Amino acid sequence: MNIYDIIFYLFAIVTLVSAAFVVSTKNIVHAAFFLIFTFFGVAGLYILLGADFIGVVQILVYVGGILILLLFGVMLTNKITNVEIRSGTTQIVPALIGVGLFAGILVLTMVSTEWKSAPGEIPFTTAYSLGKVLLTDFVLIFELLGILLLIALIGAASIARREKE
Amino acid sequence: MPQNSQEILLMLPHVVIGVGIVISLLIEMYSKKSETILPWISLFVFVFAGVHSIINISANQILFGGMLEVGGKPAIFNFIFNIGAALLILNSIDYIKKYESNHGEYYILIQSAILGMMVMAGSKDIFMIFIGLELMSIAFYVLAGINKKKSSSNEAALKYFLLGAFATGFIVYGIALIYGVSSTTSVDSIIQNFSTFTQNILFIVGLLLFIIGFSFKIAAFPFHMWVPDVYQGSATTVTGLMSTTGKTAAFSVLLIILSASLINYNIDIFAPYFAVIATLSMLYGSIVAIAQKNLKRMLAYSSISHAGYMAIGLAAANSEAFSGIIFYLAAYTFMNIGAFGIISIIEKQNDANTDLTAYAGLASKSPILAAFMSLFMFALAGIPPLAGFFGKYYVFISAIEADLTWLAVVGVFSSVISVYFYLRLVVYMYFKESEKDIDLHIDKYSLLSVVVSGILVIYFGISPDSLLNLILSVVN
Amino acid sequence: MQVPIEYYLILSAFMFSVGVAGVLIRRNAIIILMSIELMLNSANLALITFSSFMGNSIGQIFAFFVMTVAAAEAAIGLAIVIAIFRNKLTVNIDQINLFKW
Repeated sequence: MNIYDIIFYLFAIVTLVSAAFVVSTKNIVHAAFFLIFTFFGVAGLYILLGADFIGVVQILVYVGGILILLLFGVMLTNKITNVEIRSGTTQIVPALIGVGLFAGILVLTMVSTEWKSAPGEIPFTTAYSLGKVLLTDFVLIFELLGILLLIALIGAASIARREKE
Repeated sequence: MPQNSQEILLMLPHVVIGVGIVISLLIEMYSKKSETILPWISLFVFVFAGVHSIINISANQILFGGMLEVGGKPAIFNFIFNIGAALLILNSIDYIKKYESNHGEYYILIQSAILGMMVMAGSKDIFMIFIGLELMSIAFYVLAGINKKKSSSNEAALKYFLLGAFATGFIVYGIALIYGVSSTTSVDSIIQNFSTFTQNILFIVGLLLFIIGFSFKIAAFPFHMWVPDVYQGSATTVTGLMSTTGKTAAFSVLLIILSASLINYNIDIFAPYFAVIATLSMLYGSIVAIAQKNLKRMLAYSSISHAGYMAIGLAAANSEAFSGIIFYLAAYTFMNIGAFGIISIIEKQNDANTDLTAYAGLASKSPILAAFMSLFMFALAGIPPLAGFFGKYYVFISAIEADLTWLAVVGVFSSVISVYFYLRLVVYMYFKESEKDIDLHIDKYSLLSVVVSGILVIYFGISPDSLLNLILSVVN
Repeated sequence: MQVPIEYYLILSAFMFSVGVAGVLIRRNAIIILMSIELMLNSANLALITFSSFMGNSIGQIFAFFVMTVAAAEAAIGLAIVIAIFRNKLTVNIDQINLFKW
């Protein structure tokens, strides 16, 4: 049990436990807060895997952006004065059986696969190589992503905007 | 990796639509009359891109270092997407005013959806597939809910969004596993080494997740639950676009798997999966459609069963199936767009006149609309000599060649069932008296769109070889 | 990096399953959106694991794309939720049934 193992188990437990809370808690605000821990745990794992840039982006985009959006959504769709921020569940048993089977199959195949790949070198920083690949090999996707974000902006604004009467 | 100007010229359809999006946005921002200008810009962009693609069909090249394929097979898909969208734009000019959401965004979103589809059809990299899919889906989520004051439209958007994003989750996880096993993202090199990779179960699981994700998008049976509500709740023109070009785009990706099994001496590990969803979709769609009184809902179930017929080709996994599916997609796109075009003409405010009863006695009020609607219904039912018949014919032949005769028999059986509900509409139009007086306002552009779709359906039916030879020339 | 690749993959598989379970059992649109974010995160974890163990950075690029798309989807999803809330004052998808589910 060395330091990497301990860090891995720490982040893994944080991630999984808070993920389980997200889908099981009745309170939406709590779910959003547990989601923060999941995102942080995943970011920690990224950094442990040597993906420092993606780890930082994870925190910036997910915690700083998506989660704030979700919280806005929770606040805007619930009357804060009479707190009724609860929500139910349905069809737990069949869904859990199906998902359990699915997870079992997935884990079995992952364990049974022989991974030839030895652990790669941990580069000092990934931002340089990522930026280079992003603007050479994947430049077309990069530009399409720009259009995608533009469309998301237009779409979200046009749907959420209040109509002039 | 310098890009030369030749490459940009080859991908001119994509560039024109991309520029069209930006110009439309600028016009929408600065012009008071944007709602009257934008349809024509979109129309120009789509017609240009469609015609350019089909003219340059022989200039088959892979651009951007193995990212995007132009010419060849993608050119045919681009033609289907763009001409389909152009026809729907003609319908939209009048319809979207009736639907009370005559905003410029509508046209911008349609352009970006079509751009996404073109990227999907031409993608040579699994990441490109994903980006194209998302560009299309995000535009469709918004288009489904474009009328935000209407609860049916809101609900359609929410259901489409939740199920679509769920499917995206599967697709992304599938791509992650595919990448993990193959350590490449190039579609070509995955296809080349398909037989090696498929010995790894994790690769098959990844591919299965990927296919399940796309089964949502083609609206096949166990993953169809969003289809009726979304198709009924969205604007009719949007439904027309989603059910035809959206399905075609998803099939263009599934055809990659078909070509993988073709190149690797028919390793069709997914044939049982496709056979099952084909059978279930055909029967479920045809049987449930009988009970529908609302025409949009009926066409939604019919769309499920058509996904089933096309999935027969995926199960057969031979070269006849490959060209058969593309032919079917082209035929289905134009006949369905025609049908939705007529629905959009008859429809009034607040979803009025979308029921079967509204079509009673249409033949006496507007013989031309009734004639074209009958044409599209006959084509959808697969009655010769219309385009729909040859689509089904080629797919069934491919199933028989692949020793899946039972699947073809189920297909024929399901077609026979479906004749009932398609012809019921024709009976309503010609042999029933109208119960209420419906004032019919036929917009000239919508009529033009319907007539063009009708001509294409008849043309592909009378000389199927013209289209089939074009497809065969690029599929080899 | 002493932790073997399987551990990361199993973690991502469990996270993905938790996300799928969330989508299937929960009835609140925002929680379903959160579960979908969990699914996308688990896919990203798998991608970065592969990328890191194979020593090529393509997986990280894709994780970057997925994050962008997730942000766009979240924005659209919440816009739709807000629009629906304005009209019907609920975001529980069982109560939103103009049509049969």
